[in-house]
Parts: sequence; structure tokens; C-alpha cells
Amino acid sequence: MGHLLTRLTRRHKKFTAMAALFAMCGLLLLPIFLALPALAGGGAPAAGGPPPDVAAEQEAAKGEGEEEKVEMGRDVYYKIEGPAVGMPAPKTEDNETYYPRYNFESRVLLWVANQQHLYYGSFVLAVPIFCMCIEFAGMVSKDRAMAKKYDQLAYDFIKISLTAYSLTAILGGILIFTFLTLYPAFFGYLSSIFRPVMHIYALLFVAESGTLYIYYYGWDKMKEGLMKWIHLSMCVILNVIGTVLMFLANSWIGFMMSPAGVDEQGRYLGNIWHVVHTALWNPLNVHRILGNMAFGGGVVAAYAAYRFLSAKNDEERAHYDWMGYIAMSLGVAFLIPLPFAGYWLMREVYAYRQQMGITLMGGLLAWLFIIQATMIGILFLTTNYYLWQALGRMTGAERFQRYIKYLVFILVVGLLVFITPHTIVMTPAELKAMGGQQHPVLGNYGVMSAKNGGINAIIMTTILSFIWYQRGNKIPAVKWAKFGNIFMGCFFVIAQLNNVWLACYGYFIPANVRIGLSVPQVAGTLSCLFLMTPLNLAMLKGAKQLGPIRWGQIQPRSQYALIMLATAFTWMMGLMGYIRSSVRLFWHVNEVMRDNSPWAYTHTIGFAANVISFNVLFFWITIMFVFWLGALGMKKAPIPAAEPVPGTPAPQPATGH
Amino acid sequence: MTWLKLVEGYMPMQMISELAICILFFAAINFSLKKAGIGIPKFWAGVGVWIFILMYLKYRIYPPIPFSVRAIYGTVSACGIFMWVSGSQPEWEDFKRPILNVMDGKTGFHKAIRVVALVLIPLALGGYAYQSFLPSFEEPIELRTVHPAPPATTKVHGKTFVLQTAENPYRVNPEGEYDQKYTDAHIVSQDMGRLMKDFASNEDNPWDPNAEGYIKYVREGGEIFFQNCHFCHGDNLNGRGLWAYAFNPIPANFTDAGTIAQLQETFVFWRVSQGGIGLPPEGFPWASVMPPWKEHLTTDEIWKVVMFEYWHTGYYPRTWE
Repeated sequence: MGHLLTRLTRRHKKFTAMAALFAMCGLLLLPIFLALPALAGGGAPAAGGPPPDVAAEQEAAKGEGEEEKVEMGRDVYYKIEGPAVGMPAPKTEDNETYYPRYNFESRVLLWVANQQHLYYGSFVLAVPIFCMCIEFAGMVSKDRAMAKKYDQLAYDFIKISLTAYSLTAILGGILIFTFLTLYPAFFGYLSSIFRPVMHIYALLFVAESGTLYIYYYGWDKMKEGLMKWIHLSMCVILNVIGTVLMFLANSWIGFMMSPAGVDEQGRYLGNIWHVVHTALWNPLNVHRILGNMAFGGGVVAAYAAYRFLSAKNDEERAHYDWMGYIAMSLGVAFLIPLPFAGYWLMREVYAYRQQMGITLMGGLLAWLFIIQATMIGILFLTTNYYLWQALGRMTGAERFQRYIKYLVFILVVGLLVFITPHTIVMTPAELKAMGGQQHPVLGNYGVMSAKNGGINAIIMTTILSFIWYQRGNKIPAVKWAKFGNIFMGCFFVIAQLNNVWLACYGYFIPANVRIGLSVPQVAGTLSCLFLMTPLNLAMLKGAKQLGPIRWGQIQPRSQYALIMLATAFTWMMGLMGYIRSSVRLFWHVNEVMRDNSPWAYTHTIGFAANVISFNVLFFWITIMFVFWLGALGMKKAPIPAAEPVPGTPAPQPATGH
Repeated sequence: MTWLKLVEGYMPMQMISELAICILFFAAINFSLKKAGIGIPKFWAGVGVWIFILMYLKYRIYPPIPFSVRAIYGTVSACGIFMWVSGSQPEWEDFKRPILNVMDGKTGFHKAIRVVALVLIPLALGGYAYQSFLPSFEEPIELRTVHPAPPATTKVHGKTFVLQTAENPYRVNPEGEYDQKYTDAHIVSQDMGRLMKDFASNEDNPWDPNAEGYIKYVREGGEIFFQNCHFCHGDNLNGRGLWAYAFNPIPANFTDAGTIAQLQETFVFWRVSQGGIGLPPEGFPWASVMPPWKEHLTTDEIWKVVMFEYWHTGYYPRTWE
């Protein structure tokens, strides 16, 4: 009887806990559901702090006759009529009213505040997604020791994220204050358009904070059975909220680049969905989510590398070697589709405004794109280098290492093509010697067709490196291993040949068809990823083990590679943010609200690079502080290795990939 | 090294193929030497391959590659070679050995090299510093924007054209409607060495006096081109006209895949009509002497000549849908 009662009480406790959790989730999400009708209904007429001249106009209009019919306006993007319920965009002037300032360039202050907020925002959005994946991996793992390690890893990740989360909020506050104090007219206009969206954003932020805290502090309470699944579900909710938050913030920059839902004067036309769903919103969403994930993976990998290099014993080294590998793999998994999302974004930019596309890719900002291509190349080359170094901790991997030079050749050629500038820097004497602005050989590498081929070759080689890594200490033992190897080899060769052939063929067809060619190129690359990687895993089922993975025995230069990977991610994010923002040239809101501040010019490449470098340095200094805090709060050392079973190799932090 | 020709139309792939063959050749030599027990030390193999790549870029490719691009290629190659020599620990040890031997002064020979290096390296750096401080009379480097972003609209003969949406009124099908697909299908094809292929049918021949519609307008555009443009842009549209070398830079080469092939037809219409003086601020240093052709040609003539340029080069104007 007593036993039954205990069981009932336990069940009752579980039920109460679950009910409380669901109630809490419901309460957290309630504001969003309450706010949704505002979105669906198109929000209220825009309002906000009008600058003096606009306010006066509005007053005058009121006085003239309140019973007048609402004026109609034509949407600058959707080309449909709507009631002009908002105010026109303020026509600013270069004075203290519109642009209050310190004795310093306001734009740079805003740039730094914005960039720092974005770095941390990206990080805290990405890390919970990793946690979700890792926690899930731990939950489905049959090996209890492994499950525990995965769980500990996910916990370590979220702990770092928690401190970063507070910093994100603080930086968000700094950003808003910077906007309000230095660009009041512009921010007033933007918030008048996005009023309901901004409120939902704030409510979502509250919901996210609550979910995150429950997720983190409930870790130990919800570690078994059904409660663990509820815990994981909380992480799913957390990620959904985080993603929606980012999409909403993206709608503001999408509006600034490619406004919609307003007329030529910038008057809001009553449909909030049109304002949110601009021409570039979806491409930006996809690009940013992938970018955040790759960035988050890079930062966590750098953390692991830092801990590896400062480790005091082999056990720590083994743990952080493994952590670095997992974080790097997650980051790279999202890095691979990133260039394709970038192509889509650029395609939509060109489709939106040819002028904008040319400014980016062929005109004023073209050289920054060459720097970006170089950074992308660094990311992929570093990833390959890390994987080759990782082969060194496996017995039997030597058989692959001798072929590294051929992979290096493909990577280097792919990168050279990818970073060849279309607009070459040269002295007039060189220009004369070359006989024209375009070089007859290298000029062909400077255009998109060749560059598509270059980057796809690099990505395919990276996939091959990864497959080699998976095979490092194993020899397939399935009956069809020989056939599988031949098939896999042929698949890679044909995919590369197809890629090169399409890159050449692109010169002989119209541009719109050429853009379409990137689809079969990408299909070839993604086929290598999604068909060959599972095939490889299938071949490795029951494979002959040549030896264990000697976690912690990787060369230190691999860890420097991880740090470089993360730094390159950070620098590239700063660069791309600058490019995306400066493509508006002298517009606050493209073709709707002009920037009349004294800083409405494009910075020189050198100055921009310096500010980006400052941002990168500042971020890394502060994130080191976050890492330090994470280490400070760490009560226990990494999970000790499992007891060795006689006759088996020494225990390892992870045996799988 | 101009005796070994770079074949027009194949040059980019030729360069990559040549490099690949050379690298394979080196690998084969090294393999054979290793088998014979006299393999090349990794350090010298790495340095040798890098010097070869630098030499190849400087002396094999013509016209000469500007220094900025060679510097990029050289740096990337050096990174690649570092990745190769440090890809595995034994190879890295092998690569480092001669450097460490010299630094440690293992033998008398190594000591001598160390002394020479300690003297030569500061001297070389000093010499470089001295050289860089010497006054230079070379014209400064220009970061010229070849394709400055066009304005949203352009005004020609009192009419405003929206560059995003404007269409060439002569790019029409037999029914007289604007038809990009039809005109793309009737463009001239280019063979090896950018020589025109035979026309598929007489319907595609602009020299046919009975030609009608699109092909007739192409001929008219050609007449305008040869009356006004070919002196600079050349009779093969490759920027090598009679007067071309009087200018620096020489006129645009339309047969290059990086010029009109990358642009919307309206961009070319804007550049032709406004000329060099119509370049926007980002077109600095405005190194173009092309006259604003709107002062000399009618709007229709400009559209026709633009269409002829695309037809003759075999390129299609850029479109997005």
C-alpha cells in the first residue's frame, strides 16, 4: 500500500510539474498570441515622434478639414493602392535637430553598437540550436557514457550562452539609445512604421528570456524520462522564439534596403505584412540563420580550442578536443549551404534593383566582395586543414594523408578562381602593358560563372576531406565495399567534371540561364554531401577498426586553425554587415528617406576594414570575458572517462563521428 | 613565354590544366627519386613548387598579370603549400628539419648558413626599407570602377528612361513585339578564336538585303557602329580600333566576358548615351573619353547600336527573369 502511495505521489508530482511547465510556457507565449491579431489586422495607423516640420504639416492638414477622405497612396514595391494612413518620411537636414551629435562620427558609433549587438545576438540564437541537437543526440544515444557526455556538452554550451544573453540585451539597449539620441528622426519614422512589430519583438524577447531560464535552471530537475523530453521541447520552443525574433529584426533592415508597404513619400499604407514582407526579407532570413549557426559553431569551437591549449591534463585535452570537433562540425554543416543562400540573396538584390546589385558586385563595393571571397576561402581551407590534422589522431589514417597534396591543389585553384577580382588594381603602366581593363586569361575568372565553379570545387573537396576523416581509422567490411568505393569515387569525379563543365558552359549562354546553371552545380555538390556521406556511413557499419581515435592527441596547430576559423567568421560577418548596410549609399530607407547627415558617403576600404577589425577585436575581448566567466562557474571537471573494459582500448570521450 | 600559345577561348582552362600537369609531373619526379632513395627534402620541394608558381605567373601568362593579382595568387599558393607540408606530422617534421638544423647550428655548415642568414636577412630588410623610401615617379595605382552603378533613370533627348524596366524597342519578334527569347535565338554564334560561325539560315543574315525585323535593325545598328564607334572599339568589337592606343585605358573590349555580357542592355544604353562625362562619382577617376552619344545620335540609333554590339559578340544582355 505504502509502495503504491509512493508511486502515486511520484506520478502526481510528475503530473503537477508537467502541468506547471505547460502553464508557464502558455503564459510565456500568451503575449505573442495576444499580439498576433495586431499583425493580422495590419496594425494601427503609424505614429511616432514626428520631426518639427512634419508635425506642423500634419497639424495643418488636420485643420483643413477632418472629414476629408483618406488619401490613397501607391505601394512602391507591391504597386497596389492603399490608404496613406502614415506620415511621410521626414525630409531631414544636416543640423542638430535631425542629427544630434558628439564631436565624432555618429555613423561609426551606431555601426559599432549595432555590430556588437549582432555578434552577440547571432551567438545566443545559434547556441541553443546546437544545444537542442546535442541534447537530442545524447537522449537517443544507447551508450550511457556517451549520452552523459553529450548532455554535459549541451549544458556547457548553454551556460556560455546564458552570460552572452545578458550582454546581448545590454548591447540591444545601447543600440536603441544610440539610435534615439543620434538619429531621432530616422528612428522615429522607422518605429512609426513598425510599431506593432516592435511590440511583438519586445514581448517575444520576454518569452525567450523566460524559456531560456527555465531551460537552463531546470536542467537537473528534468533529466530523466518524460521530463527530459519536455526539457528538450523547451529548447525547441526557445529556438522557435529566437528564430521569429530574428526574422522580425530582419524585416527592419529588409525595409531599409527594399522598402514596401509605403508610398513614394514613405507614407504607411495600412498593411503591416507588406512592410515586413519586403523583396529581400526571406533571402535575408535564410542567409542570416545559416550565418548565425556557422558563426556560433565557430565561436564555440574557438572556446574549446582555447581550453584545449590551456588544458592542464590529458583528460581535459581529450574533452576539449572532442568539443572543438563537434562545434566545428556543426558550424561547417551550416557553412556549406551558406554560399548558396548568399547567391539567392544577391539574385534577389539584382532582381530588386540592378543598380544595387552592380554597386555591390561590380561597382563601388566590388573589392569588399573580393575580401569576402577570400574570407570564405579561408574558412573552407581552414576546415580542411583541421580535418587533415584530425586524421593524425587516428591509427590507419596515414593512407589518406599522402593524398593531401592533390586536395590542396584543387582547393588552391578553386580559391584562386573564386577570389580573382573583376576590377583589377594596377598601375597605369600595368594597364597599358595588359592592353585593356580586362585580362584575357584572368578576366574570365572574374565573373560569376567561373566563381560558381570555384566555390563548388572547394565545397566538394571539403566533403571529401570529411569522408576521409570518417574513414580515418576504419576499413569498410560490408560485402559491397569495393563496389561502394568505386561508385563513390566515380560520383565525386563526375560531380567535379559536371561542375567544371557547367562553369565553362556558362560563358556561352544568356545570363538568366547562367544563373539557373548554379542549380545543377549546387545539386551536384549537395548530392555529394547528402548521398555520399550516408553511403559512407552505411559502408562503415561493422567496419574493421584499425585503432581508436586518440582524443587530445591532435597537434596544437589544429586548434589555432579553429581559432582562425572563428576569427574569419567574425571578420566576415562584420564585413558583410557593412556591405549590406552601405549599399543603400545616401539613403536611410532606400529611395524613400534620404540620409542628409554629414556621413552619408561611403567610407574608404581601409577605414571600413579598420572599423571591422576593431569590432572583431572588441567582440573577442568581451567574449573572452564570457568564456572566463563560464570557466569560473565550472564546479566540476569534465566527465571522467568510463571504466576501461579489460581487453578493449583505453576509453575515449567519443567513438563516433 | 609567348612561343607556347594561349589559345583564345580556352585560355582560362589552359592555364589551370598546365599548372595541374606541371604539379603532377613534379609529384611523379619526386616519387621516382624517393623510390631510388634520393627523395627531395620536403622543405626544398615546398619552396621549389612555390617559386615555380611565381615564375609561371610572371613569365608564362601574357599579357603580363598586374602585380596586385600576382601577389594574391602568390600568397594563396604559399598558404596552400604550408597546408601541404604541414598536413601530417611526419611531413611537417621533415619540412622543419632544415630550418631547425640551421637555427640550432647542428654542423659547421649549418652554422655558416646561420651566420650568413643573420647578416643577409637584416641587410635585405634594410635594402627593402631603403628602396621603399626612395621617391617613385610611377603613376599611382588606380582602383578604377569599371562598371559603376547606373542611376535609376537616365534622360535622353528629353525622355526619361527607367533603367530597371526600359526595353530596347528594336529587340522584337516578327510580330513586332518585344521578345528577348526570339532575338537570343537569332544571335550570331562565335567559333574558336571568336570567329563568326555560318548563319543557321538566311533569316539570320544581316547582310541579306531582304532581311526584316530584328535582323534588319541589327544591320542598321552595325552601320551606325562602323560609322561612329569602330575607330576606337575596333571592327571586331574587341577594343582594338585604329585610335585605341591613343587612350589609356584603351576602349572597352566587348568580346570579353566581363563587359557587356555582364550587363543589362539598359546599362549599355545609359553608358553610350551619357559617355565618359556622364559617369557618376563612383566612376572615379572617370578615365573614359567616350563622347556622350546622345549629342550625336538619336535615341533609336543608340538602341540599335547597342543591339548590334550584343549580336556581333554573341552575348546576351543580362536579364533576371
